[in-house]
Amino acid sequence: MILPKFEYKSAENIAKAIAFYERYNGKIRYLAGGTDLIPLVKLRLSTPMAIIDLKEIEGLKAISHQGGWLVIGANVTLFELKNNNTVKEYFPALYESLDATSCETLQMRGTIGGNILQNTRCLLYNQSLEWRTARGFCFKMGGETCNVVPNARACFSNYCSDNALSLMALSASVKLVGPRGERKMPLEKIFSGDGRNPFTLMPGEILTEILIPMKRSKGAYEKLRVRDSIDYPLLGVGVSTKGNAGRVCVGGIGPSPLVYNLKDINESAFKDVAEKAYSDARPVSNTTLSPDYRKKMVSVLIQRASKKALQEGK
Amino acid sequence: MENEFTTVGKRVVRSDSLAKVTGEACYTADIKLPGMLAAKVLRSPYPHAKILRIDLKRALKVPGVKAAISGFDTYGIKWGVFRYTKDHPMLPTDKVRYIGEDVAAVAAVDEETALEALSHIRVDYEPLPAVFDPEEAMQEGAPQIHKEFTNNINIHVNIDVGKVDEAMNKAFLVREDTFKAAGEAYAMKEPYAVVASYKNGFLDLWMPNAGPHVRAKALSNLLKMPLNRVRIRHINSGGAFGGRSEVSPGDLIASFLSIKAGRPVKLVLSREENATSTRQVHDIIATVKTGMKKDGTIVAKDYRAVYDGGAYSSTGPIATSIPFYVYEECYRFRNVRYNGYRVFTNKGIRGMYGCHGRAFLAGNEAQMDFMAKELGMDPVEIRLKNGLTSGEVTATKSKITSCGLKETIQKASEKTGFKKKWARTQRFKGIGMGCVAMMCGFPMGFRSGSSCYVKMNEDGQVTLVTGVIDNGQGNESLAIQVASEVLGVPMEDINLVNADTEATNLDPGSYSQASTFVGANAVKVACENARRKIVAIAAQKLGVKEADIGLKDRMAYSRKTPDNKMRISWAAREAFFRGEPIVGTGSFFPKIDFEREWVSRPWGQMAGTFSFGTSVAEVAIDSETGKVSIPHFTAAHDCGRPINPMAVEGQMEGSIQQAGVATIMEGNLWEGGFLLNPDLLEYKVPLACDMPDIETIIVSSRDPEGPFGAKEGGLTIRMNAHSAVACAVSNATGTVFRELPLTPDRVLNALQRKKGVKR
Ligand SMILES: Cc1cc2nc3c(=O)[nH]c(=O)nc-3n(C[C@@H](O)[C@@H](O)[C@H](O)COP(=O)(O)OP(=O)(O)OC[C@H]3O[C@@H](n4cnc5c(N)ncnc54)[C@H](O)[C@@H]3O)c2cc1C
Ligand code: SF4
Repeated sequence: MILPKFEYKSAENIAKAIAFYERYNGKIRYLAGGTDLIPLVKLRLSTPMAIIDLKEIEGLKAISHQGGWLVIGANVTLFELKNNNTVKEYFPALYESLDATSCETLQMRGTIGGNILQNTRCLLYNQSLEWRTARGFCFKMGGETCNVVPNARACFSNYCSDNALSLMALSASVKLVGPRGERKMPLEKIFSGDGRNPFTLMPGEILTEILIPMKRSKGAYEKLRVRDSIDYPLLGVGVSTKGNAGRVCVGGIGPSPLVYNLKDINESAFKDVAEKAYSDARPVSNTTLSPDYRKKMVSVLIQRASKKALQEGK
Repeated sequence: MENEFTTVGKRVVRSDSLAKVTGEACYTADIKLPGMLAAKVLRSPYPHAKILRIDLKRALKVPGVKAAISGFDTYGIKWGVFRYTKDHPMLPTDKVRYIGEDVAAVAAVDEETALEALSHIRVDYEPLPAVFDPEEAMQEGAPQIHKEFTNNINIHVNIDVGKVDEAMNKAFLVREDTFKAAGEAYAMKEPYAVVASYKNGFLDLWMPNAGPHVRAKALSNLLKMPLNRVRIRHINSGGAFGGRSEVSPGDLIASFLSIKAGRPVKLVLSREENATSTRQVHDIIATVKTGMKKDGTIVAKDYRAVYDGGAYSSTGPIATSIPFYVYEECYRFRNVRYNGYRVFTNKGIRGMYGCHGRAFLAGNEAQMDFMAKELGMDPVEIRLKNGLTSGEVTATKSKITSCGLKETIQKASEKTGFKKKWARTQRFKGIGMGCVAMMCGFPMGFRSGSSCYVKMNEDGQVTLVTGVIDNGQGNESLAIQVASEVLGVPMEDINLVNADTEATNLDPGSYSQASTFVGANAVKVACENARRKIVAIAAQKLGVKEADIGLKDRMAYSRKTPDNKMRISWAAREAFFRGEPIVGTGSFFPKIDFEREWVSRPWGQMAGTFSFGTSVAEVAIDSETGKVSIPHFTAAHDCGRPINPMAVEGQMEGSIQQAGVATIMEGNLWEGGFLLNPDLLEYKVPLACDMPDIETIIVSSRDPEGPFGAKEGGLTIRMNAHSAVACAVSNATGTVFRELPLTPDRVLNALQRKKGVKR
């Protein structure tokens, strides 16, 4: 499948990138590793007039310690992050989710920023233009219905980032810079809950940094997939605890992850969350495995991840 | 393995390996010809619809477009492998029968322009009711896909041997199960591609194919061109697995476009098109009823198998039959009835597959294990008891001439400690065994044989000309290795000209497991004829008897006094002097019953010989998620004498992936007529990390007719690896599997089902 025509511009810094955004009247897409974007463009799910490459922006490539935070530039590759000593020692959940992301070849190309901002997925969405035209456009393509759940009012496409889950479990924040300035917010605030347009980012905004509080944590990441590499999560669970606080995040089902704060760090607290998450999860028939099964696995994986998190360090 | 040969039986590097691993090997999509155009195909968006009108006018006006065609520009001749299956118009004019069917095509200066032009083709359709489920399609009143085939029944194979009902009534133990399996994708590395070049009244074509001669003949019919003007040229192939045996719409499209435009045309399908619009694998529902004596002897088998054939016949009669035959060639069935139905549905066309029939084969084997258990036997005993042996005749009257089945069962079970592991049944661990036999060739009329021509050049180097084709199995290397052995020159001294209809002679192609048994046999005969001439000259020159001459390492020598020797190249030059160059031709034609016909006369000798094999899978199940892993896999294969053991092992390993590990993950997913996973992300081909530790065991029975005693290498494992995995999972869950693939959700259900039963 060949790419459609578009302009390609490489930005040296954030200001230039935003200037390109304005020059093309917003009809652009930012490019990092391209592992999410390029397939979407090939499928004609995204048809930008210009693609603005952020890879040359030096400031986005660094990992640093700043005032009690680990600050990760959006363009740091998953592979580099996985091999970072602080990540290994302080944030086991993140290490595990990075390791479980696709395969190492992809980890070397894909960035953490792109990973967080990857589009949501659906078996009936990630298809060629010909395929989708024959089937009829759904909500997420600008149509009038959902092709998976008849008469539904919403889009149930799945957010499939492994690493956003562990990052949220670690209470990470993100920094965004856009035409209207800079802002910082907790990672979970970037999700709109609407599968058609899953993020709350404002037009032209660039994700520049991911910030994790520098505090040693215990944790684990559990992923459901058919093959042990390459595959996206059919369900992902990130668990992280620090002292008496902790979080459980569930993703891979629906457009925005579920986030639970733990009341206590013990088996029964995890059990409560597992039950809550089981009843909150609303998988639909848009992946290769059945929704019933994926729902059942929510509590199984939470229990597993929690067991690992509780055992660790004992 | 020590033997009396120089290269045969040795672990030689395949002649094609270097070019392939360095990326030098040329495939169809790599071809660039002067003035070449890019073609694109417009496909049906409907599963079933009447075509009212196709208008190409606006597409032809797009700058850069050089030709456009629809079915109205063809001769409207329908393709079919058999006289009674000619139903595929390639470019239909009456109606479309599946989503993705070829409707029209353009050739333009580049791919972008061609795509642009497609959007200007106007097709008016009148949608018709469609049917996607074969059982529904067989019902009275279902939408009719072809008017020639009532109730959408494309093929009915009926085999009835002995007295099934009587034997079943008398049986000590009877069991009936129904098994389902999703169809698979071939998932060849190389998406389908064709280059057609029409010049001076001759049409040259390149495409991955499994038999150039049958392809050329089919195209000459469809294009109404004399056969000598349609030439299929040699090119590397990125995999076929049974899915590239027939002429395809792309061949016809590229040909017509090239003829119209007067320029070469290249058509390269996308991954999605390769999945939706070339060939798919049949979904199958198989009901297996078995009667056994108290001692485990199978006394009766009664089968009903329904094959979802998709929109056209393709190799239907063969596909409807093969699962049954590879099973009856393995076990003794005195009373057996088989009703195989291939049914049309409004889905992609289904073809033959290297692992074809998994619901049927794995179903039989898993059921057998549970029956054995009831009788106090184990899988090994019951297979040995019912397995065929050398000299026996199958239910449909094929004689087995050489048979290492028993040895493969014994070796595979000893190696794995099968009996112990099977009896112990650790929780959530299982072991399973699958057996099958494989015909080496099947009746294809005068195309069942192969011929070869060989010449020795002035420097003692050799040119070998054979129709044998290689789809990645190593057939080219095999032919060279056989010639090298017979002629006493190293493999690198042999140039191969093969699979080019202009230069090579008829050959059955590489879809009936005949390449070694038939193709390499012809190579051997041709080389032996050439060898005789070398030997005659050498004997004269060295002053010894012809019987005393040996050929090795480019030398002819006296076996008694090896120092008495000369270069083979001298013999070649001497032969030129005498005006009788060293050349040879040779043919091989297998002893098959040519009255045999898949539907009308399903009995008689099927093939010249049969190969055998046993697979053993060991699995572990995650009891909470139902996910299966396969830590170990052992396969024992009677391939006759392995010409290149390393190549045979490679085939066995590939088979374990494509059939064995696939059993837990591969399957096409459908929403009505829409294929939901026409890609390599959601269609789950097993990855390196999913592969088991593999142990391969070659059991080399010497086939009396095979070249150096060889039969077929690897396909046997491809046809039983799924059984081993399905049996192992059934063993672990304690219940016979019901549906393939054994994805975690299904396995978890099976575990829960079992719990429910035990309470
Ligand atoms: C075969 C395959 C398997 C995969 N499996 C997994 C998996 O198992 N788990 C998983 O989590 N992911 C998986 N992915 C998704 C993979 O694309 C991401 O993991 C990867 O990290 C994305 O990073 P990227 O740099 O390539 O993103 P890109 O494709 O460059 O960008 C992704 C999106 O983010 C936007 N973007 C990128 N950077 C910025 C920025 N700084 N500011 C604003 N917007 C930005 C882009 O415009 C685009 O919309 C898989 C992808 C493929 C192709
Ligand atoms: S869930 Fe429904 S609306 Fe969303 S992408 Fe899938 S089909 Fe479209």
